[in-house]
Amino acid sequence: MEFILFKRTLRQVLLLPVVACLVLAGILVWQISGANATVGLIEESDLRIAHATLIEKLVVDEETGLRGYQTTSDPRFLQPYHDAEAPMQQAIAELQSMTRPGQQQLLINQFIQQHQSWHQTFAEPLISTIAAGGHATDVDLNLQGVDRMNAVRDSLKAITSAAEKSRKDRIALWRQQTRHILFLLIGMALAIGLLIGLFTRVRLQSAYASFQHQLDLQRQRTQELFESEQHLRTTLASIGDGVIVCDAEGHVQMMNLVAQDLTGWTESEAQNRPLEEVFHIVSELTRQPVENSAVRVQRLKRVVGVSQHTILLRKDGTEISVDDSGAPIRDAAGEITGIVMVFRDITLELKTRAALLANEKLAVAGRLAATIAHEIHNPLDSVANLLYLLQHEPKEEESKQFLQMAHTELARVTQISRAMLSLYRESSAPVSVNLKEMLDDLLLLMQRRFQILGVTVSTDLPPEIAVEGFPAELRQVFTNLIINAAEAAGQGGNVTVRVRPQPAVDTASDQAAEAGAIVEIIDNGPGISPENRSRIFQPFFTTKGQSGTGLGLWVSQGIIRKHAGTIDLDSRTEGPDHGATARVFLTSKPVIHLGGN
Amino acid sequence: MDNSSPLVLCVDDETVGLRVRQMLLERAGYKVLTAVDGYSGLELFAAHPVDAVVLDYSMPGMHGGQVAEKMRQTKPKVPILLLSAYLDLPPEVTSLADVYMTKGEGAPALLDKLGNLIPTSSHQNR
Repeated sequence: MEFILFKRTLRQVLLLPVVACLVLAGILVWQISGANATVGLIEESDLRIAHATLIEKLVVDEETGLRGYQTTSDPRFLQPYHDAEAPMQQAIAELQSMTRPGQQQLLINQFIQQHQSWHQTFAEPLISTIAAGGHATDVDLNLQGVDRMNAVRDSLKAITSAAEKSRKDRIALWRQQTRHILFLLIGMALAIGLLIGLFTRVRLQSAYASFQHQLDLQRQRTQELFESEQHLRTTLASIGDGVIVCDAEGHVQMMNLVAQDLTGWTESEAQNRPLEEVFHIVSELTRQPVENSAVRVQRLKRVVGVSQHTILLRKDGTEISVDDSGAPIRDAAGEITGIVMVFRDITLELKTRAALLANEKLAVAGRLAATIAHEIHNPLDSVANLLYLLQHEPKEEESKQFLQMAHTELARVTQISRAMLSLYRESSAPVSVNLKEMLDDLLLLMQRRFQILGVTVSTDLPPEIAVEGFPAELRQVFTNLIINAAEAAGQGGNVTVRVRPQPAVDTASDQAAEAGAIVEIIDNGPGISPENRSRIFQPFFTTKGQSGTGLGLWVSQGIIRKHAGTIDLDSRTEGPDHGATARVFLTSKPVIHLGGN
Repeated sequence: MDNSSPLVLCVDDETVGLRVRQMLLERAGYKVLTAVDGYSGLELFAAHPVDAVVLDYSMPGMHGGQVAEKMRQTKPKVPILLLSAYLDLPPEVTSLADVYMTKGEGAPALLDKLGNLIPTSSHQNR
């Protein structure tokens, strides 16, 4: 039910009883005023009776006065007779005035007539007779007087009894009216009660139906909401990453199991605590507190990405490496109402990565070990043979020649072992690396390999081009790239290694804007197929089957990124100039990015 | 050096090593032919009555195993001494040779093993 409709119903339920009671009151007022009128009539009857009684008394006074006078002939006895005259006239007039024309009026007229007749035919002649000194003891006259008086009395009695009858009738009427009012009151009360009751019932029923409908809807919604929440909760719990939900102020509201496991805090312990307390992270490198993603989201008002090299200090004091990212939760108006932070344990990943890097380094070493052993064995064999020859009485001229040859061969061994050592010597800080020297050393180590592969290597290595970096790592990169190029070029193929300086360029869009050097390793092999090109920098991707680790280019890319450089591969799979070009840009003074992968 | 000296063919892409080995074998009384790769080695092997072959394994173009296989097809009885700087060659390669030795074992070992391969009295393999 609409709220407006409900309000209207409320108004109706209030107004209907008021209106009904007003109507009832009106009817009652009307009925009571009718009864009141009847009461007025009863009072009028009472007054008439009183007047009639007064007149009766006055008649008695007249008669008594007259009798006294008749007996004594003393005029003083006649005084009440005369005194009654005026009040009698007034009482009769008043009685007449309050009597409506009709039967009672006739009775009054009859009384007046009878009284006048008594007056004129008996009283006045009697008084005159006595006043004249005569005797009024005549029996006939007195009988006549008695008759006349009886007639007067009868007519007066008729008036009184008529008035009494009228009064009785009116009282009966009043009683009837009162009874009517009572019945009406009961009837109306019943009717109105029923009306109000029925109306309210109907209205309440419709309100209840509407309420029930709303309740059902609400229940259904609650159920849906519950299911949806269960859905999300299960999803959240099943996520392999730690998820912490905070309010807009960065206080923890919810944590999934992984988050509880990783931080060492239970959800109830962490509830409403500041995120920094529960998710306490420091920089892996500086050990300084790091701004967590939630704070960054608060500050930047947007999704923030993964922060690297952070260590989570767990509740029990142990440490794990994590990366975390955060996203704001917005309401319909776009205001931030909360923050979701997702993080995961990358300790194992980092260890795995470190192991992979070490493994790849060994793989590069392994890849060269056989050729290096070969390189050393060959001159050593010659030296051993020369020593044997020298022991067996050579001519002096020959001796000189043998010694010279042995010397040369040993120098070769030394050169190779030095080149090999430098391949693995790790420096802790970046040093200046002469690219020509480094590449010459590498090519020397790989010479045999090129011969076996039947690859001709040409170089264009200007001296004095140097960059700063970690030489062992750069050697690893170029060993990979050159061996890849040689293997791709294959029998009869060519590999060109060249270095050129890259002056600083102002163009902002140019990625090689800084001064540095570009090393290009070009082969004329079949090139890289488009489907492989997108994957060559991914770990464990190899086209060499069992003989490749699939890590070479991935590691190389990491090393070059660490050196703030770039690495890319051009490929031409068709046409006469097919082949691939690996191009590495190295800046002269890089800002070293640790953990390039 | 008389005509009865055995003729040994040395094949190695290492020119210095090849030259020293030639001198060594000549001092020991052998006649020596040298080749710097498998192709020229096979040509000399076909053209001359070689008594034994001292063959390097790791060579550009055609490795010692392949060269030995071709030699066995034409003159299966000529003994082959496979000499390599690599320590472990696959058995299918070493089985092709009569003797397999690694470089660096020293001149006496080489002369000894080569001497055992060639009976000084007979030149029946020519």
